[in-house]
Amino acid sequence: MPRARTGLGWLAVVVLALAALVSPAAAADQLNAYSIWPENWARPMLQEFEQATGIKVNFVRFSSGEALARVIAEKGNPRVDVLFGGPVETFAAGIKEGIFEPYKPPAFNALPARFKQADGYWVAIADDPLVFMTNAKFLKEGNLKAPASWEDLLNPAYKNMLQMADARTSGTAVTRIFSIIEVNGRNEDKAFDYMRKLRRNVQVYTKSGGGGTLPVGLGQAAGGIFFIVDALDTKAKGYDVVISFPKEGIGTSAEAIALIKGAKNPEAAKKLIDWATSPAMQSLYARHKINFVPANPEVKIEPSLAEVLKGAKIFPIDDAFAGANRKRVVDRWVAEVLNAKE
Amino acid sequence: MTAAARRLGRDPALWGTVIALWALLGLFVLYPLARLSWIAFFDGGRLALGPAWNVLADPNHRHAFVNSLLLAALVGVGGTLLGFLYAYTAARAGLARGWLTVLDAATLLPLVSPPFTTAIAMIFSFGPRGLVTYHLLGIRGASVYGLASTLFAEILTYFPIAYLTLRPILSAIDPNVEDMAFSLGSSRWRVFHTITLPLAVPGFANAFLLLFAASLADFATPLILAGNSFPVLPTQAYLQITGLFDFKGGAVLSFALLVPAAGVYLLQRYWVSRGAYVTITGKAGPATAVKSVAPWARWALVVACAAVGAVVAYFYALLFYASVVMAFGANHSLTWRHYHVIFTEGLKAIRDTLVVAGLGMPLGGLFGVLVGYLVARRRFPGRRAMELVSMINYALPGTIVGIAYLVAFNDPPIVLTGTALIIVACYVFRYSPTGIRATVALLQQIDPSIEEASQGLGARSGTTFRRVTLPLIVPAFFAGLGVVFIRSMTAISATIFLVSISWTLITVRILENMTELALGPAAAFSVLVVAIVFVVMAGISWALRRLQAAGSLQVTSILGG
Repeated sequence: MPRARTGLGWLAVVVLALAALVSPAAAADQLNAYSIWPENWARPMLQEFEQATGIKVNFVRFSSGEALARVIAEKGNPRVDVLFGGPVETFAAGIKEGIFEPYKPPAFNALPARFKQADGYWVAIADDPLVFMTNAKFLKEGNLKAPASWEDLLNPAYKNMLQMADARTSGTAVTRIFSIIEVNGRNEDKAFDYMRKLRRNVQVYTKSGGGGTLPVGLGQAAGGIFFIVDALDTKAKGYDVVISFPKEGIGTSAEAIALIKGAKNPEAAKKLIDWATSPAMQSLYARHKINFVPANPEVKIEPSLAEVLKGAKIFPIDDAFAGANRKRVVDRWVAEVLNAKE
Repeated sequence: MTAAARRLGRDPALWGTVIALWALLGLFVLYPLARLSWIAFFDGGRLALGPAWNVLADPNHRHAFVNSLLLAALVGVGGTLLGFLYAYTAARAGLARGWLTVLDAATLLPLVSPPFTTAIAMIFSFGPRGLVTYHLLGIRGASVYGLASTLFAEILTYFPIAYLTLRPILSAIDPNVEDMAFSLGSSRWRVFHTITLPLAVPGFANAFLLLFAASLADFATPLILAGNSFPVLPTQAYLQITGLFDFKGGAVLSFALLVPAAGVYLLQRYWVSRGAYVTITGKAGPATAVKSVAPWARWALVVACAAVGAVVAYFYALLFYASVVMAFGANHSLTWRHYHVIFTEGLKAIRDTLVVAGLGMPLGGLFGVLVGYLVARRRFPGRRAMELVSMINYALPGTIVGIAYLVAFNDPPIVLTGTALIIVACYVFRYSPTGIRATVALLQQIDPSIEEASQGLGARSGTTFRRVTLPLIVPAFFAGLGVVFIRSMTAISATIFLVSISWTLITVRILENMTELALGPAAAFSVLVVAIVFVVMAGISWALRRLQAAGSLQVTSILGG
C-alpha cells in the first residue's frame, strides 16, 4: 500500500508540472520571433541585441515558406512578435494575408525606397544577391569554366548535377524564379520554357534555400543557384567552390523584418526592429563573418565582399510585382517545372 | 439498461475511470480528426466534396499516392524477408549468447535512431561523390535520389520491426515438432518449408503489414532521398501545408493516406492477429538441440546477417565520424566542436525533448495499462469502441495526426499550440497503443480467477487493480513506457507541426540542420539521441529483469509493433 501511495503522489507531481507547461512564456523583457535566417546567423545577432538592450529573444528557425505558413495559421492568436530575416517577397506575400502591423523605425527615412515598404509593413535589414556556385573539382574534371550566363547552366555536362531550392518552401527559389522572369523581360512563357530546360539538369529541389550548398561543396552536386551569404559560407567552411554571376544579370532580394499584427510584446519587438535596421546591427555582419550586404547606407560594405561583387550585374526584385504574383507563379512552377512530364 | 451498465453503476471507480478515459480519447483522438475532416470536406459549413475531389484528381497527387503504395509494399516485402533472415538465424542457428547480443544490437540501432539517419548516410555513400560509388567503385554521376535508395534506406530502417515480430514466433515453435519430422525421415528443407514456414505465416503477414504502415507514414526519408521524380504522399501533404499554406489540400491528401492505413490496420487486427497467441504457451517441451539448420546453411545465414550488420555498422560509423570532424568532405581534422554546439546552442532542444519524453513516458505507460486492463478484463458499454478509438492515432500516419492537432488546438475553445502539452499528448495517444496491446496480451495469459478471488474477499475494483493486477502487468507498463520514450526521442512526422518558440525537439533541429549546412551538429545530435535511448533502454531492461525475477511473465521485447 505505501508503494501505491508514492506512485499516486508522483503522478500528482507530473500532472502539476504538466499544468505549468501549458502556459507559454510571456514577460516584459523578452520577445518571440520566427527567424528565417539560419541559426548560425540569427543567434549571434540576437545575442548581440540581448547584450545591448537586455531584452531576450526567443526564436525558432523555419524556412521562409514554413515561417509564413505558421504566422498565417496563427493569425487568430499570434505566437510571435517579429518575423526576422528572409527574402522580401515572403514579406510581400504576408502583407496580403494581413499578418503584419506597420511600423517605421528611426532609420526608415534614410533607407533607399527598395529597402522599405512604403507604409512600413516591412523594413530591410540586409541585401542578399543570388549567385551561381559550382564545385571547383567538377569544373576541372569536366574542363568547364564557371557558368557566366544563364544559358551555361543548360549545358548537358550538368545533367542531373544541379541542386536548387523548391519554390514551395524556399524564398531563395522564389527569388530565383523572379530573376529568371526578369532576365527574360517579364515574358513568363519564355522564362518557364527556360526553367523546364533547366530542370533536366536538376538533381533535386531542396526544401531549404541553402540545402544544396553542402552537396555542391562535397561534389555530390556540381552546382546551383544560391544566396551569396550561403555560398560564401560554404567557401568559408573549406569547401572548394567557385562563385560566379551571369552576364544577363541576377536578382537580389532585400532581407526584411516585420512586426506581427497582434504581437503580445509590441514594445520589445519595436526595439528589435529599431536595432536591426540601424548600423548597430548591420555593422556587426563582418565581425560575425555573415556575408550579407548591409541595407543601411551608413554601413560600409566589407572589402572582401565588395571584391566578390565587383563587376557583377545585379538587379533588385520588384517586390510589388513579386508579392502580387508569388502564389500564381509558384503554382505554375509546381505544375509546369517540378512536375514536368519527360 | 443492460447488465453491464448496471454493474458499472455499482462500481464508481470503474465508472469514473471509463468516463475520464473517454474524455481524453474524445479530446485528443476524435476531436482533432473531426476538425481535420471539417477543413477537408466542408466549405462554409456545407459539405463540399468538389475542392477535395480537385485535389485528388490532380495527376501529380495521384502519382504520389501510387508511389506511396508501391514503396510501402516493396518495403513490406523486403523488410519482412530481411527480418526473417535475422529472426531465423537468431532462433535456429544455435548461436552463442554473445553473438545474439550483437545481432540484437545491429537491429536495435536503426530502430532507436532518428528516422533519417540512414538517409543521410546513404547520400554520403552513394551520391555522385559518394564514398562507395565514387571513391570505392569509381562510378561517375551516380544518382542517389529516387525509388531505389528510398527503398533501401527504409528497408534498413524498418526491418528490425519484422525481426522483433518474427523472432518470438520462430522461437515459440517447439523444436520438438521439427525433431519429430526429422526422425520420421524428412529432409531439412522439407521440414523448413512444410513445418517452420507455415507456422510462421501469421508472423509474416503481421510483419508485412507493420512495415507497410511504417513506410506509408514515413515522411523524413522520402523528403531527403526521394528526389523530384518520386514524390510520395506524406511529403506532398507536408509541403502542401508548409510551403503553399494550403491547409485544405494538405488535409485532403492526409485523408487519402487514411484509406490504405485504415485498411492495413483492420486487416492486421481482425485477420492476422487472430490465433497469434496460441504459440505462446510458456510451456516449452524438454530442451532439444535444434537440428533444423545444416552446418553449411548455418554459415550462410551467419554470413548474410553479418553482411547486413556490417552495412548498418558502416552507416553509423559514418554518422559518428561526421560528428567529430570539422566539415565532412572538406576538412577532416578531428574536433569536438559540434558537440560543444549542441550542448550550448542546442541545449534547449535537448532539454525540451527530454522533458517531453520524460513526461510522456509515465503518462503513456499508465494510459496503456489502464486502457489495456479495462479492455481485457472489465465489462462496460462501449468497450470495443474504446479499444478501436485508442488505436486510431497509432494506425494513422504521423502527418495526419500532426496536422489534425495543429488545426484542432490552435483556435478556441481549446488552445494548446505552443505548449509542451500538445507534443506530450501527441506522443502519448500515438504511441501508448503498444502498451495497450502488451497489457492485453499479458492479461490473456493470467487467469482472471486471481482477481475474482480478491473481489470475492471484498476488495473494491480500484484496490484489486492496484494490488493484484498492476504488479502482474508491470512488464507491459514498462514496455509501453519504453516505446513512448523511444518514439518521443526519435519521431518527427507528427510533431514537426507542433514545435514552437517555447518547445522544440531534437529531431526537428536535426532536420533543420540538415537543410542548412550544419551537417556536424546534425550528426552529433543523432549520435546523442542514439546514446540516450540506449541508456534508457538498458535501464528499462534492467528494471524488467529484476521484476521478472519475481515471477512475472516474459515480455520478449519492449519494441514490438
